[in-house]
Amino acid sequence: MDPKHYRHCAVVDIARQPLDTAAAIDFVSDEAHGGLAVFVGKVRRQSHGRAVLGIDYDLYQPLTLRQFERACATVLERYGPTLKLYVAHAYGSLKLGDLAVVVAAGSPHRDEAFRACRDLIEAVKHEAPIWKREHYVDGSSEWSEGCSLCYRGEQSPAPPAAHAHDCADHRH
Amino acid sequence: MQIEVQLFGAFRQFQPEPRLTLELPEGASVTDVRRALAAHAAAHWPRCPAGLLDATALASAEAVLDESAPAPTRLAVLPPVSGG
Repeated sequence: MDPKHYRHCAVVDIARQPLDTAAAIDFVSDEAHGGLAVFVGKVRRQSHGRAVLGIDYDLYQPLTLRQFERACATVLERYGPTLKLYVAHAYGSLKLGDLAVVVAAGSPHRDEAFRACRDLIEAVKHEAPIWKREHYVDGSSEWSEGCSLCYRGEQSPAPPAAHAHDCADHRH
Repeated sequence: MQIEVQLFGAFRQFQPEPRLTLELPEGASVTDVRRALAAHAAAHWPRCPAGLLDATALASAEAVLDESAPAPTRLAVLPPVSGG
């Protein structure tokens, strides 16, 4: 089967349509799959102690889709070529409770499904060129701090200390 | 050579337009673009925090660019990411 039948990668303009969790489950379902894992990321009320009204998501679309495809290829190589994977991220202005990201993995067994789903959402958060600007109830807004993509290029060496970025706070 | 630079994330707050054009010598590298961008930031973006450019990647539509590679005529400026 065409590898594209095993993965679905998308970015979705929230002004046109919301993310669809049911579509993700449908995509990764298969008669051979006994385990499906789904991760859904939503806009939450609090961020670092501040009350949030909503989030604007900005992304560099061509590279984001390419990074999603690379992450799927890595996961298929790691856990087996018959897994089915779904990755979709919203962009635009999201309100409290809106879905920002949906990731799903279908596999014959639960362990690979959980692991694949976790690996995919970590890649989305740390390797895709996506940014969020949080809007707070006091009327202010801020671009979130995140993970540097420096030296993640395929031909690049390990990052020198001067460019090391602390991504230890994985609450973002 | 003219390099068209596309701005994303936090860089969008420093100027109204999401892109700018830098003038560099023929054969410039990605590092040269980074230096030119830093000079532009020092001259035009007083609110650009120290260290932001150091943590910023320069990329094409296909990949993050190696710093020693020749600069393409269009590239994207990618501050630390925060998707999800």
